[in-house]
Amino acid sequence: MIKPRIVAIDDEPEFIDMLQNYFGLRGYEIDVAIRGARGIEIVKEKKPDVVLMDLKMPGIDGDEVLKLLKSMEPSPKVVFITAYDDGGKTKARLLKMGAYACLDKPISSLRDLEETVNKAMST
Amino acid sequence: MISPFSIPYIIGGFISLLLGSFVVSKNRTSPTNRTFFLLCLSFAVWLLAYSIAYSTKSYKIAVTCASITCTSVTFVGTLLYHFVVDFLDLKKERIFLFAAYIFTFIVSIFFITTHYFLNGVYNYFWGYFSKAGPLHPYYLVFQTLIILRAEYLLYNALRHEKDKLSPLRQIQIKYFLAASILLLPGMVDYIPKYGIEIYPFGFFFILLFLAVVGYAIVRYKLLDIEVIIKRTLVFAGLLTSVFGMLILPTLIIQEYLFRGAGTGGRLAGLTISGIIIILTMRRIENFLINTTDKYLFQKKYDYKELLKTFTAEVLTVLELDKLVNLTIDKLVDIVKLNSAAVLLLDDEKQQFKIVASHNIKDQSVTLVRPDGIVTFMEETHGYILIKEMREKKIMIPDSIQEIIIKLNAELVIPMVLHEEVIGILSLGKKKSDEDYTQDDLDILLPLAKTLAIAISNAELFVELGRAQAEAAQREKMAVIGTLSAGINHEICNPLGIARGQCEAFLLNMKDGLYKTKTSQELIDKAMDIMAKVIKETDRATAITKKLSGFAKPSKGEAEYINLEKEIDEVQGLVGYELKLEKIEFEKRIQKDIESIFVDRKQFQEVLFNLVRNAGQAIGEKGKITISAIVENGKVLIDVRDTGSGVPEDKIKLLFNPFFTTKDPGKGTGLGLFIVRQIVEKNGGKIYLKETKVGEGTTFRLEFPIAAREKVKVKV
Repeated sequence: MIKPRIVAIDDEPEFIDMLQNYFGLRGYEIDVAIRGARGIEIVKEKKPDVVLMDLKMPGIDGDEVLKLLKSMEPSPKVVFITAYDDGGKTKARLLKMGAYACLDKPISSLRDLEETVNKAMST
Repeated sequence: MISPFSIPYIIGGFISLLLGSFVVSKNRTSPTNRTFFLLCLSFAVWLLAYSIAYSTKSYKIAVTCASITCTSVTFVGTLLYHFVVDFLDLKKERIFLFAAYIFTFIVSIFFITTHYFLNGVYNYFWGYFSKAGPLHPYYLVFQTLIILRAEYLLYNALRHEKDKLSPLRQIQIKYFLAASILLLPGMVDYIPKYGIEIYPFGFFFILLFLAVVGYAIVRYKLLDIEVIIKRTLVFAGLLTSVFGMLILPTLIIQEYLFRGAGTGGRLAGLTISGIIIILTMRRIENFLINTTDKYLFQKKYDYKELLKTFTAEVLTVLELDKLVNLTIDKLVDIVKLNSAAVLLLDDEKQQFKIVASHNIKDQSVTLVRPDGIVTFMEETHGYILIKEMREKKIMIPDSIQEIIIKLNAELVIPMVLHEEVIGILSLGKKKSDEDYTQDDLDILLPLAKTLAIAISNAELFVELGRAQAEAAQREKMAVIGTLSAGINHEICNPLGIARGQCEAFLLNMKDGLYKTKTSQELIDKAMDIMAKVIKETDRATAITKKLSGFAKPSKGEAEYINLEKEIDEVQGLVGYELKLEKIEFEKRIQKDIESIFVDRKQFQEVLFNLVRNAGQAIGEKGKITISAIVENGKVLIDVRDTGSGVPEDKIKLLFNPFFTTKDPGKGTGLGLFIVRQIVEKNGGKIYLKETKVGEGTTFRLEFPIAAREKVKVKV
């Protein structure tokens, strides 16, 4: 089974570090960025299957990055991992905009995340 | 043997000494009281020395006495003048006073050592009397002039400075002027010095002077001496003296008519006295009561003063504690009571407790409502007047009787509000021993009613303050609720890292992905992760600490505030929210800005509200600037935003309670209303400085600079 290629974008370096540590060791190809703009460049270059992304970041926010990625061809699946919670309003909006999933920080389980990533590629 | 002509002199001398000593004993340090004493002393020496001269047979003693008496008299005018200068506090007059004293001293020395003023004695029918020397007329002119000057000064004060003088003071001055005018005819004593044989009855005018001054002291607090005369004492004194006078003539009659008639004669005399006493007793007593009441006790206490004091000073006080204590102080002071107490109903325990009192030994007296005090007072027309109860032979229940004794009460008045007895006013006996009259009740009963309203107001005010504080606190909590998104974000981010790092390590171990690593490498990795977890949990804790610190209610104490520090603190709290919405935050504080003296937490709340409002007005992407400068002794703080601005028709409503432009759930509308209350409570002002729809809004805060050397901002 081919493992999905991942790009993770989050302004928290320690969080990115953790994702890299987890997915990297399991044989996933994972690239990271701590700014939205840099993330877009990497996505363009690496053409990943799945993008793991924070919503609220300095500079360009996750929802704007999503808009751009949706217009790309091929368009990666976008999984949001965010601590932003306004009672589900933003989540619904992001899903409507074409996000594949929205997960809360802290992630309830890294295994679930891995599963979501794999599912995303297969759909 | 004492000559009968000496007797009035002896009496006058002692009365003079007595009044002088009394006045000086009331205030030893007051110059007016001391001068008055010296004046009385010079009268006394004058009178007593003459009383000796009249009674002695020795020419030598008479000459010595004449010398003493005349020297003493030289000072009368100057001392009177001195008293007036002090009494009216005339600084400009002091130079003349000084000159007068020097002149008086010189003259007195001449009196003693030469014959220019005093030249031996005459021997008149009443005894020896001083003989004027050749220069005596000049001294007489001086004495007259100086007394007239003193009287003119009094008159002048009354005429030209009437506006500056209180009515009481005017009366005092009038009385003293009258007294000193009455003194002038005392100059008749100088006539016999020039060889004309008229018994010197000047002592009569001195007594008049003393009587008028004494009366002014008792009735008008002359020299600030307050005398409370027991009514019974005065009656007793007057009655004795009147009957003494009545008995005297009968004794004289007895001596002349029945002289030598032995026991029978004496009995007849006594019978006459007895008949006179029996016949006149009732009438004289009534007459005495009426006249003394009219002239001495009429003032009792000034109803007007009582009303004025209560309406102006007492009833408007909104602090309960101060209100009841002032009530007691003023009642005791004006009505002149031995004791007094205010008891208030404790709703929970259904008992009346002393909240303020004067001269009550047992402070722990409580009146339990079920004791029947309230129903008892209803039965007795709303008050208990102990004397009246006794006269009408109304039984006072034992439980109430006991408390009345403990409260030292003579008059007990319930304080009624909306037909509920909320408290009890207990008044003791008057210091003068007078009874409470209908007049007293007519003023004290309504006063108690008004007092009930004032007390209820004060209680409501305390309640209002509490409600206000609670509303402010609720608002704060509501505001914190609106911050939850930002704070949640800020807490969940570090938790996400901590949890993720730990889970990744555990899962990697479990899945055997660390097999290639040595145990040292694994330990290093684990330690690295633990350090990260600690760092991230600290980050999360810091936020919760800030939040809970802010959520705590303020202590209500002002302190010196460093503006920059407080602004940073508030930024720390709203910062996340602002960051999420990409709102820039800038502070521009004047270098070394002065401190302000406010409640720190309340000041934070104010800033916090304003910044958060600004953030909400902006929505997303914009800038909030807090600037602070000093101008005209005030610290001016501007909170400017680049938000939506306030439409013109809403500007007036901004500070109204419940006015809000925000979506439901984003604000209660109490924000600015409470902010204004808090700012004003801390001695500041807040207003909308400028606003333009679509461009932004600036609110301005003004606080006075704290009166302390400025506190340097720590950087």
